[in-house]
Order: sequence, then structure tokens, then C-alpha cells
Amino acid sequence: MSLEKQDDYDHRTWLKRKDLTPIETVFLTALIYIDKRLRIVDYLELLEDAYYKVNLQMPKSHTEQYDLDNKFWYWYPLYSLGFFSVLAYIVAAVSGALLGFYYSPSAAGEPTVAYQSVKMIMQDVQFGYALRSIHRWAAQIMMAAVFLHMLRVYFTGSYKEPRELNWLLGIILISLSMVFGYTGYLLPWNQLAFWAGQIGVEMALATPIVGEWGAQLLFGGFTLGQATLVRMYILHVFILPFVVTALIALHVGIVWVQGIAEPH
Amino acid sequence: MSDTDDTTNETRTDGGEAATDGGETGIVAPDDETPTWQERKTRKSGLSQLTYEYFERARREDQELREESDYVERDVLGFPTWPHEIIRNLSISLFFVGIMILIAAALPPSLELPANPSSTPSIILPDWYLYWSFGLLKLNPLNPGLAVLDGSKLISDQLYGVLANVVVVGAVAFLPFLNKGSARRPVEQPFWAAIGAGGAFFSITIAAIAVQNLIPLPLALQLNIAFIGPVVLGVMTYALLKTLREGYMYGLNRRYYMLRPPK
Repeated sequence: MSLEKQDDYDHRTWLKRKDLTPIETVFLTALIYIDKRLRIVDYLELLEDAYYKVNLQMPKSHTEQYDLDNKFWYWYPLYSLGFFSVLAYIVAAVSGALLGFYYSPSAAGEPTVAYQSVKMIMQDVQFGYALRSIHRWAAQIMMAAVFLHMLRVYFTGSYKEPRELNWLLGIILISLSMVFGYTGYLLPWNQLAFWAGQIGVEMALATPIVGEWGAQLLFGGFTLGQATLVRMYILHVFILPFVVTALIALHVGIVWVQGIAEPH
Repeated sequence: MSDTDDTTNETRTDGGEAATDGGETGIVAPDDETPTWQERKTRKSGLSQLTYEYFERARREDQELREESDYVERDVLGFPTWPHEIIRNLSISLFFVGIMILIAAALPPSLELPANPSSTPSIILPDWYLYWSFGLLKLNPLNPGLAVLDGSKLISDQLYGVLANVVVVGAVAFLPFLNKGSARRPVEQPFWAAIGAGGAFFSITIAAIAVQNLIPLPLALQLNIAFIGPVVLGVMTYALLKTLREGYMYGLNRRYYMLRPPK
């Protein structure tokens, strides 16, 4: 024990005692300088804490444990379909919000204002055609990805025991996505849209008991017109986005809690 | 695990060593501030006490299952979404998003003629992903007529189509309650794999019924193809998987036993 009292916090002496390379010296000097003033060590601790919390439960995956990677990697694209659907949904949401600046849901006039606004988007708005193209393709590709995702879940038995509720939620989500697509299909109010709407009304009317009531609610009557267009518009841009986004969050949250089901 | 030894086992739920066969659990011991389940239980009464009692039981059940586990395989139910899955998915999915935008740039959608209620187009179709549903709506040739009603139909053709949709979606939704058990791979359950393959194929053949007027075949033949085709594919899948099964399961089991021999 030396007679002279050592200062535990004399970092400069500590630095000299150590045999450091120039790079290490510069790094540590800078770090000490900043830390003396901002005390970043506290925040580092927070970060470290968060890191360990995140990595707290990291069991080896089944694939790692049994060294199945060589058998399994070519299925990974199919395992990413769910995540890809979410990304495609986000792309569709962003491009759809931008399209909403230019579209007006009005069946007045000949051809209708709605049709003319879509025509304006396609012909006059800068990059409008690109926006509509991205929106449409994102929707189409999302539907394809969702169908394939469902097949993947089926053939790997991922809907089984602890995950039945998420399968049911998935069925609801895929149905709502199709309604989403259908309502969007009607918005340009062209020939295809009008007659697809006609089939929708007939389908609703064929349903017993709730049919007429449903047709009134969803299509605003038994013949297509302004009421139908506005209802489809509100469904497409107001109701379904909230409902579907919330359900997607729940769907992903349950996956997060339960973990990814791997085939054994 | 019995119902009577609640008091003897209570201390174990919070303080006991977690002995798992997959190594450490990573469950953090609660710090001093955190009340134990027992403390929470004694503070409560009625329903909330029952809830905590159940939690305690559930926790003890997990622990005993871990201790007594002689499972050699299948002890992992899932693996972490973050970061394993998300990072892998990001790399693949962002690539596909790029492809998606490329397609959008190359193939912008067309705008058809404006809506005209007075002229019905010869082809009325929804988007492709609704073809299967649209095909089910067109099943009216299969709607049976009853002899007692002079050949008239019990339910209208449209209702028949709507009901077909309800039946199909309901059957798919009901699936997890029909097929239970821990089997995951198609080879383990050739029957259900055959159902799946047949169902997936049916979604395509029934979509062809939706565009029946574009296909130069008589409707009866189209309907036969739509319904018999999936059955044939299902039988083929079943036969194939049954054939593969033995060799496949042999390899799989050998892999398990080499890595983790049974106790």
C-alpha cells in the first residue's frame, strides 16, 4: 500500500499507467472528455440494460438446435410472406393516402367526377400514374402474398394448438382484405367497377333475412349511384384502414408473443 | 401434481430452481420490490384471488413439466420473432418490395370506359383474387331440383352461391378444431396434406368456373373438371406422401437421436 493516497477517479494517471496504442489513447481521451461533461455512461447503462432485456430469452431455435438449416433455408422466403404482406400493406397505405389528395368520390356528371378525377391522376398529375400503379400493384401483390402465407401456414401445421385463434384472426383479415380490394375496385367508377358493384348488390340481396338491410347499409340502396360510391369510398379510406390495421397489429402481436412455429 | 399440496408447493413457484432440459430459462428472479404471486394472492379476495391462484398453478405446472420432461424432441414450441425472424424477413421482403415497385413502373394499370348502366359488358369480373368466390356464386347448375316440388328448387340460385361461399370459408376457419396434434410436416399427416393440396387446387379450378364463358368446353365438363380434378390431385398427394413417409421419418428421427439420445 502506497503512502500517497491514490485518487480512484484520476483517469489521466490511469490512462498513463496503461500501455495504449495512439488510437486507443485518442479514443479514451475523447470518451473521458465527453463523459466528464455529459456523463454518457448513464445512458450506456440504459442501452446495455435494454439490450439484455431484449436478448433475455433467446433459446436456440429448433432449427439451430437440431442443425436443420441445411434442410430448411430454401423455405425461408415462404416464411417471410407474412412480413412482406405487412410491408406491401404499408406501401399501399402511403400511396393510397397520396391518391386521396386527388380523388373525389362523386357520381355526378357524364362521365362522372370520380372517373374524371382518376383520369386526371393518370394523365395530368405529376407521377400520378406511378402513384396509382404502385397502389394497385401493392394491393394485388399483397393479396397474392396473403394467399401464399395462408398456404404456408397450412402446410407447416402452424395453425395448431396454441395458435388457433390467430388462424381465425387470419381468416377475418383475409376476408377484410378482399373487401378492401373490392371497395377499391369500385372507386374509379368505370364499366368494370359498376358491374362488379351490381354483382355485389345481387349477392347481398340473395342473402336471407339480413340481405336487404345489408344492401342498404353497404351499397346505399338496390341500384348503384352516388350513395354507393360514397359508401365504398368511406369504407375504403376510413373504416377498413382502421379496422384492418388494428387487426394486423393484433395478429402480429400474437405471433410475437407465441413465437414462430417451425416445422419439426 | 395434486390439488391438496398447495401449501407445500407454494414456496417453489417463486424461489425454486428452474431445471429445464434446454439449458437456462432466462427468467429473471423478481427483485425485492416485486410482490410474489403468494403475496398478491393474499392481498386479494374473490375473483382476483382466484386469478392469482390460477396463475400460481399455471406456473407450477410449467415448472413441473420442465422438471419431469423426458421429451427428446418437440420441446420447442416456437422461436423468437425478434431478431431471428424479423431480420431474415427484412432482407427477403425489402427485395420483393423493390420488385413490386419495378412491376408498378413497368405495367401501369389501364382505365376502362366510364360506367354505363345501360350497356352490360359481355365479361363481368371482379379482381382475380375474388374469382374463387365468384366461381362459387355460379354453381347454380348444381343446385338440385326436388321432385316433390315439381322440379323447382328449394333455394334460389343466388342464395345457393352465397351459401357455398359461407360453407367454404367456414370450413377453412374451422380447420384448427378438426386437425389437432403436434404433427407439423405434411409427411407426418398425408391425409391433411392431401386435403390442403386438393383445396388449393380447387381454388384454381373453381376460379375457372368464374370465367366459364371464356373457356371453349361444355359447362358440364368444366364442372366435372373443377370438382374431380382436386380430388385426383389429393389422392395423388396422399399416395406420394405415404410412399415418401417411411424414408423421410427415418432420416428425421435419426437426426434427433444422434443429437439428443433418449435418456
